[in-house]
Amino acid sequence: MSRKIALSAVAVATLLSLAACGGADDEDSSGGTVTLRYALWDEVQKPPIEQSIREFEKAHPAIKVQIELNNWNDYWSKLQTQLAGRSAPDVFWDHVSYFPKFSKEGVLTDLAPLIAQDKVDTSIYDSKLAEGWKVDGKVYGLPKDWDTIGLFYSTKALKDAGLTPADLDGLTWNPDDGGTFVKTLQKLTVDENGKHPDEAGFDPKKVKQYGLAMQAPTGQQDWWNFALQNGCALQDKPWGRWTVDQPACVQAIQFVQDLRLKYHVAVPATVTNPPNGPSLDQVVGRGEAATAMDGSWMLRAFDTALPNGGFGVADLPAGPAGKGSVYNGLTEAVYAGTKHPKEAWELLKWLTSERHQKAVAQAGAVWPGITSLNDVFADAWKAKGVDVTGFKKAAEGTTMGYPLTEAADVYNVKALDIFNQVWLGQLSPQDAAQKITTEANAAIK
Amino acid sequence: MKRVALYLALLAGAVVSVAPYLMTLNSAFKEPAQVLTTPAWEPAFPLTFDNFAQVWSEYDMAGFLLHSLVYAGAVTAGQVVFSTMAAYAFGRMSFPGRDALFWGYLATMMVPQIVTLVPLFLIMREFGLIDTYLGLILPTAFGTPYGIFLVRQYFRTIPRDLESAARIDGAGTLTVLVRVLLPLSRPILATLATITFITTWNTLLWPLIVTNGDATRVVTLGISALKGQYSSQYHLILAAAALALLPLIVIFLLFQRHIVRSIALTGLK
Amino acid sequence: MIDNIPYDRPVPGHRRAERRLAARVRTVAEAYALLAPSLAGFLLFLVAPIFGVAALSLFDWNLMGAPSFVGLDNYRELAADPEVWRAVLNTIYYVVLNIPAQTVLALLLALALNRRMRGGKALRVVFVLPWMAMPVALGIIWSWVFDPRYGVVNQVLGMVGIDGPNWLTDPAWAMPVIASVNVWQYTGYTMLILLAGLQAIPHTLYEAAAIDGTTPVQRFFTITLPLLRPSLFFVLVTNTIGSFQIFDTVFVMTQGGPGGATDVLNFHIYQQGFQLFRSGYASALAMVLFALILLVTAAQFLYFRKRTVYDFS
Repeated sequence: MSRKIALSAVAVATLLSLAACGGADDEDSSGGTVTLRYALWDEVQKPPIEQSIREFEKAHPAIKVQIELNNWNDYWSKLQTQLAGRSAPDVFWDHVSYFPKFSKEGVLTDLAPLIAQDKVDTSIYDSKLAEGWKVDGKVYGLPKDWDTIGLFYSTKALKDAGLTPADLDGLTWNPDDGGTFVKTLQKLTVDENGKHPDEAGFDPKKVKQYGLAMQAPTGQQDWWNFALQNGCALQDKPWGRWTVDQPACVQAIQFVQDLRLKYHVAVPATVTNPPNGPSLDQVVGRGEAATAMDGSWMLRAFDTALPNGGFGVADLPAGPAGKGSVYNGLTEAVYAGTKHPKEAWELLKWLTSERHQKAVAQAGAVWPGITSLNDVFADAWKAKGVDVTGFKKAAEGTTMGYPLTEAADVYNVKALDIFNQVWLGQLSPQDAAQKITTEANAAIK
Repeated sequence: MKRVALYLALLAGAVVSVAPYLMTLNSAFKEPAQVLTTPAWEPAFPLTFDNFAQVWSEYDMAGFLLHSLVYAGAVTAGQVVFSTMAAYAFGRMSFPGRDALFWGYLATMMVPQIVTLVPLFLIMREFGLIDTYLGLILPTAFGTPYGIFLVRQYFRTIPRDLESAARIDGAGTLTVLVRVLLPLSRPILATLATITFITTWNTLLWPLIVTNGDATRVVTLGISALKGQYSSQYHLILAAAALALLPLIVIFLLFQRHIVRSIALTGLK
Repeated sequence: MIDNIPYDRPVPGHRRAERRLAARVRTVAEAYALLAPSLAGFLLFLVAPIFGVAALSLFDWNLMGAPSFVGLDNYRELAADPEVWRAVLNTIYYVVLNIPAQTVLALLLALALNRRMRGGKALRVVFVLPWMAMPVALGIIWSWVFDPRYGVVNQVLGMVGIDGPNWLTDPAWAMPVIASVNVWQYTGYTMLILLAGLQAIPHTLYEAAAIDGTTPVQRFFTITLPLLRPSLFFVLVTNTIGSFQIFDTVFVMTQGGPGGATDVLNFHIYQQGFQLFRSGYASALAMVLFALILLVTAAQFLYFRKRTVYDFS
C-alpha cells in the first residue's frame, strides 16, 4: 500500500516534469510553424490589431502570432526582465523613454540592412516619427502611430451646465488666477447643493461632479502640456540633462496642484492617482467629471464609456506661452535575440504596412504612422459624430516629445511616486521638481 | 449569560473569517452593474455565470489555473519525495558532517526569498530556463529546509526497534524507508504535501521574475495582471479571484484535519 | 559486492574490522545518496545565491550590459538614501500595526476556545480558513472591500452617517488597510498554535491556584502567560520574520503608493531590481533586509530566553 503511494508520487513527479519540459518546448517550432510573440500594452487597441494579424497569419501559414498584453505599468518591468533574461518577445512596441537604453544595450535589431534589402519605402512615414529612431545610420524601429493630448468632454455634462462645445474653444490659463480655463471648469463643477466653487457656501468635500479629471504616470497627459504652454522645457537639449526645476516648469506643476487643491475643479488625487485610480473614460463615464485631459489613443475607450455621441474632444487651453501639446509616437521593434529573425521581420513589415495601419485606423484605435492614412482615422471618427481633427492640428502646432535620455526609465518610475505626492498636497511643487531633477540626472552617466 | 456573550463574540469572529469569501463569491455571480449598485451582502439575483465565462475563456483563467496546477503539482511531488529522502538521512542515519549540514539547512530557513532573487534569476538565465516550467519549479522542487525539518522531526518519533527488526530480516535502507517508515508517516506526508501545494499555488514573487510570457503564466500573475488592467471592473476581477481561491478551499476542506493538527504541531516544536 | 563476503569461513580479527568499515562506508554512501537531490538543490538554489547576492552588492549592473565593480558604493548610497530609510520605517510600521494586533486577538480567541464547548472544533476550522488564502487574491478582494465608493466598509460606515475615507489612496490609511489583510489572514493560524500551547498546560496547576483563592486574572498572569512563553516566542518570531517580507498585497493593492506610504523594504528591493534594473543596489538592499531580520530574531531570542530563565528559576 505504502509502496504504491511512494511509487505513484515518483510517477507523478516524473510525469509532471515531463509535462513541464514539454510545455516549455512547444513554444518553439513544431511541424514547420513558427510561433512569434508580439508584446503590447494597450487593451483598447488589441481587438483591431488582433483581427489584422489573423489576416497576416492567413497570408503566412507557417507563422503563428501570439499577442502578449500587459498594462503600461507591468509592461516595462516585464519587457526589461525578459530582455535581461534573454527571452524577450520577438516583436514589441517600443517607446522613446526606453529606446535610448535599449539601443545602447544592443537588444534591438538594426532594421537598416533589411529595409535596404527589401527596398521598403520609409518615406511614407511621418519624418518627425521616423527620424527619432535612427542612431548612427542604424534604424531601430518603424513608426506604428502617433498621439497628442486633447480635452475630452461629456456632452451631457456640458449641456447640464448650459455650455456648448464652442465654449471650450480658445480657453486660456495663467499661473496667477487660472484664466478662462478655470472659470469654465468652475461652471462644470457642482457640489451636492448645486453650488459652484466660485459661489459662497460651496462645499469642496461634497462635490458631485468635477470640471476636469487628470491622470498621468509620467506627466504626458497632464502637467507636461501646461509646462509646454508655459514655456518650460523638460530637458536642456536632446540627450542632455533634466531641467524640471526651472521656474516655468514648477509653475506648471503648481497649476495642476492648484486645479485640485486651490480651485477645487479637478478630481482629487485620492481618486485618480495611479495605479489604483480608474481610467479617465470611466471617471467621465460615471459622471464624476465633466472633462478629462487624455491622449488620442483613448478615443475608443471614451466611445465605450460614453457611446452614441456622448463625448466630444476640444483643444487644450492656451497658456502664457501659447498653445501646445505633448506629441509622441511608438514604433514596432524586433528583439535582437529573436530565434526567428526572418519571420519577425515579416511580421514587422506587416505591422507597419499600409494595409495593417489602415485597418487599425478604420477601427479608430490610433492615429497611424503612415501620413497618408491620417484621413482614414479622422473619417472613421467623423462617421461616429466625433471631430478628432483637433489632435492633428495640435500635432502640427507647438509640440513637445518625451525627453531623449538613457535615464528616462528612472524618471518614469520615480515620477509616479513623487507627483502622486504633489497631487495629494504632501509635497510642494518646488521640492518635487528639485527631487525628480536631481534623481533623474544622477542616473545619467 | 457570560457563555452567551462568549458564543456571540466567537460567532462574530467566525463571520469576519468567512465574510470576504462569501461576499466575493456572491458578487462574482452578479451582473456587472449590480456589483457596483447593490451591497455586497445582498444575494445575487438573477444569478449570472457570464463573469466566470468571460474570465475563463477570454482572459484565459483556464490557462492560468492549469499552469499553476503543473507548477504546484510538480513542486509538491518533488518536495514530498526528496524531503522524505533527506529527512531519513538526517533523522535516522549517522554520517560525518550530518549535524553541521542540518544546522546549515536550518539556518537558511530565515533567509528571505527576495535575498536570493537576483542570483537565482541569473542562474536560470545561464541554464536557459527563463520563461519555462523548469525554471519555475527547480528552486523549490528538491525540498526546502522547512519540509525536511518537518519530516525529520516526525521520523524521530518512530521507535527504532521497528527499523532494527526489518534490518535483521535483511532489509536495505530503501526498503526500510519505503516499507517501515512511510506507512507510519502518512499523516505528516499528507501535511507536507498540502502545505507545499498551497504555498506554491499562492506564490507570486518567483513566477513574477522568472516567467513573463503567457505560455507559463500562473494564476497569481494572471489575476494581478487582471487587476492592473481592469482595476475598477469588479465583476471580472472578483470572479477571477474566486476562481483562484476555489481549489484552495477544496483542498483545505479535504485536509483540514491534517492542516489544523500540523499547525498546532509546528508550534510545539 | 561487499555483501557477498562468505560467512562460512572463520574471519580473522582484522577482516572483521574491515567489514565493519565497509558497512560504515556503505551507510555513509547511502546517506549521501539519499541527501543528494536535496543537497544539490540546497547548494545551487539557496547557498550559491546567498553568496551571489553578497558579491552582486559590490557591482553596478543592469543585467544587460557588463557589470562594473564599485566596491562599497552601493552601501554608501543606501545609507544616505532617504527612500531606503522610509522603506525601513514603513516596514517597521507595518510590523508594529500587524504583530501586536494579531497576537492579542489570537490569544483572546485561543483563551475563549480553550474549553470543552459545542462547535469548538468547527469554529477552529473556520478561524483557520483565511490562513490558506492567496495573498494576491486577498489584495484584490480587499481593494474592493475598501473601495471608497463601491466597497462594503464605506457602505456600512455610510449607514451610521460616517463619511469613510479613500482608504487606499489616502497615505494615512493605506498601510493600516494592508496590515488588516495580514491580521485577518494569520489570526486564526496564530490562535491554533497558542491553543496547542494552552492545552499543554496541566490542569492541576489551575486547580491548585484556585484553591489558593486567586482570581482568574491572577491565574492568567502567574500560570498561563509564563507557561505559554515558548508558544508565544515561536509565534512572534515566525510572524515577525514573515511580516518583514510583506510583498504580495503591496504589489497588488498599492505598488508602494500613495506617495510612498506603503513602500516597504521588500517592494523597494523589487522595484530597484526589476523595475529600475539596478541589481547591485537591490542586492545591497537585500543584504540590509537580511541583517535586519537577523537582528530582530536575535533580539527576540535573547529577550525570551532571559525572561524564561527568570520565570523558571
